[in-house]
Amino acid sequence: MYTELNSILSTTPDSFTRGEFILVSDRRSDASFLIHHFLSFYLRARCKVCFLGLVQSFSHYSAVSQRLGVSLAQAKEKGQLIFLEGLKESLSVLIPQEANRGSHAMDFLRDPTVGLRRLYEFVRSSVRSSGGEEEGTEEWGPPVLLVDDLSVLLSLGVSAGAVLDFSHYCRATVCSQLQGNMVMLVRCVGEEEEDDGDDEGSERLLKGLSHQCSLTLHVQGLPTGYCRDIHGQVEVCWRRRQAARVVGEIDKFTSHSFTFDWLLVAGVNDPVWNPDCVEEEHSAPAS
Amino acid sequence: MLPELLQGIDAAGFLIIQDSASYSGRHLLKSFINAALSREESVHVLGFEVSEEELRDGLKGSPTQRFHFHNAFTDPLGWTDHPAFTVSGFNLEELTHLVKQPSHPKPATLVIDSLSWILRHVSPSAVCKTLQQLKKGGAVRAIIGLLHADMHQRGTVGSVCHMATSVITVAPGLKGDEAVAKITKRSKSGKVMQDEEVFSIKEDLTVIVQSKASNVGSKQPDPEEQETDPTANLTFNLRLSDTEREAKEKLALPFVFSKEKKTALLHSGPGSGRILYEPDANDDYDQEDPDDDLDV
Repeated sequence: MYTELNSILSTTPDSFTRGEFILVSDRRSDASFLIHHFLSFYLRARCKVCFLGLVQSFSHYSAVSQRLGVSLAQAKEKGQLIFLEGLKESLSVLIPQEANRGSHAMDFLRDPTVGLRRLYEFVRSSVRSSGGEEEGTEEWGPPVLLVDDLSVLLSLGVSAGAVLDFSHYCRATVCSQLQGNMVMLVRCVGEEEEDDGDDEGSERLLKGLSHQCSLTLHVQGLPTGYCRDIHGQVEVCWRRRQAARVVGEIDKFTSHSFTFDWLLVAGVNDPVWNPDCVEEEHSAPAS
Repeated sequence: MLPELLQGIDAAGFLIIQDSASYSGRHLLKSFINAALSREESVHVLGFEVSEEELRDGLKGSPTQRFHFHNAFTDPLGWTDHPAFTVSGFNLEELTHLVKQPSHPKPATLVIDSLSWILRHVSPSAVCKTLQQLKKGGAVRAIIGLLHADMHQRGTVGSVCHMATSVITVAPGLKGDEAVAKITKRSKSGKVMQDEEVFSIKEDLTVIVQSKASNVGSKQPDPEEQETDPTANLTFNLRLSDTEREAKEKLALPFVFSKEKKTALLHSGPGSGRILYEPDANDDYDQEDPDDDLDV
């Protein structure tokens, strides 16, 4: 959990806006550090977290969260965290064994055209399950859904429209009905361009999700090029929805530069971004 | 033109509010709903994209009898057991049935939030057909739709907007809470009016038009009306006095084909050779008719 980011977003684990859909996106950069941030943030806020970890293994997230001061294994044991390990589940779909049936969440791997209805049903059952079945279980706060990440679904053959439907249903259940929060990561490849002929693509997904969300955090490299000390910038946009404030406006409160430290986690070969905020330059909000 | 549109859309009118990811047109849509409710019209909303609470937020008072929200937000595709309104219900019969109300004599205004959602699941031609049938059918008085222009191909956006009688395209303005609206209005006589205005929406959903934007989007510096005089501040004199100016204008330039030269060439003076010409049949050679026997 990065306190500087918290102060920029004006949130703390004790008080945060509910019913928010936060979209984290990146372009030719790696925004997964923000997912780790939000994971540790919401666990600290004693929320019930449903995490769809589709790109990395549980031990990876566990190791990074350890560095941020949160134990995922403990949270899972206590029932605070429900973790869908996409990589492991997909093996049971692709190599079916008689013993384990597994959940139907990853069934879209068999037939991507079917859509993500099963995945949504998994999410719904996870966030709705009450902790009061056994004696002594703790009461958790509002439900939170974290997805890392949505773009991998596109490369698995799911259409952008199906992913948008999935995020719509998740928003209707998690944010609107249960007043919880949602954080989803989308990764874009290449430059932003007019995607006129391409109906299926990460650009269309990003645009559609931007319309649905209430807050976007866009990570990209520095526009001036490579710099040794500063690895990128984060653009924060609020799409204000409350009628009490100015409506329809996007407040661009941007250009916070974070440095990323390379962190090699034992057992996993890809490096993990671990930002330590060294420099912070930001302009005053527009309103 | 925006205030006139807010005051009332003509019967059988179809208004489209086009927005993009950088500025949401939903609040302008809410202003239109507010305006319709204050005119004692009944409004039916097909809500696909936002929940009822979010849409009702900020609407005036509690006109529950005249404001009907058809919930297509929680389950538009029928994934649960009891969907309220699904996207497959977007056809003439179901919509007419939905909007029909025996208590209210006047036909209602139908608001669609949003058309983009429907276009993602129903083919554009079917959507256009339904919209046309609704317009002509008389079941609804007017239709207002929200369309996210950056989510569809240009052709799709163009086809749907072609059906509309008015299109408002909103974009973020230069200042914080302002926005720019490009309005195209087609009247029944066929006349098309276009306008561009800068507006802002207050908390109570009233729209304030700031100014008519003449040059929108470009941060132009103040136009320099006075041109600097290049002949000023020089160490030598570049100006002409009146006599000098006259003499300059009188001067005949050497290689210009003036009137005097022309008459001199055409009417040769005495002493030069005269050419006498008598028309000769051999000179009258027509390339396309060498034997001179075509009856053209």
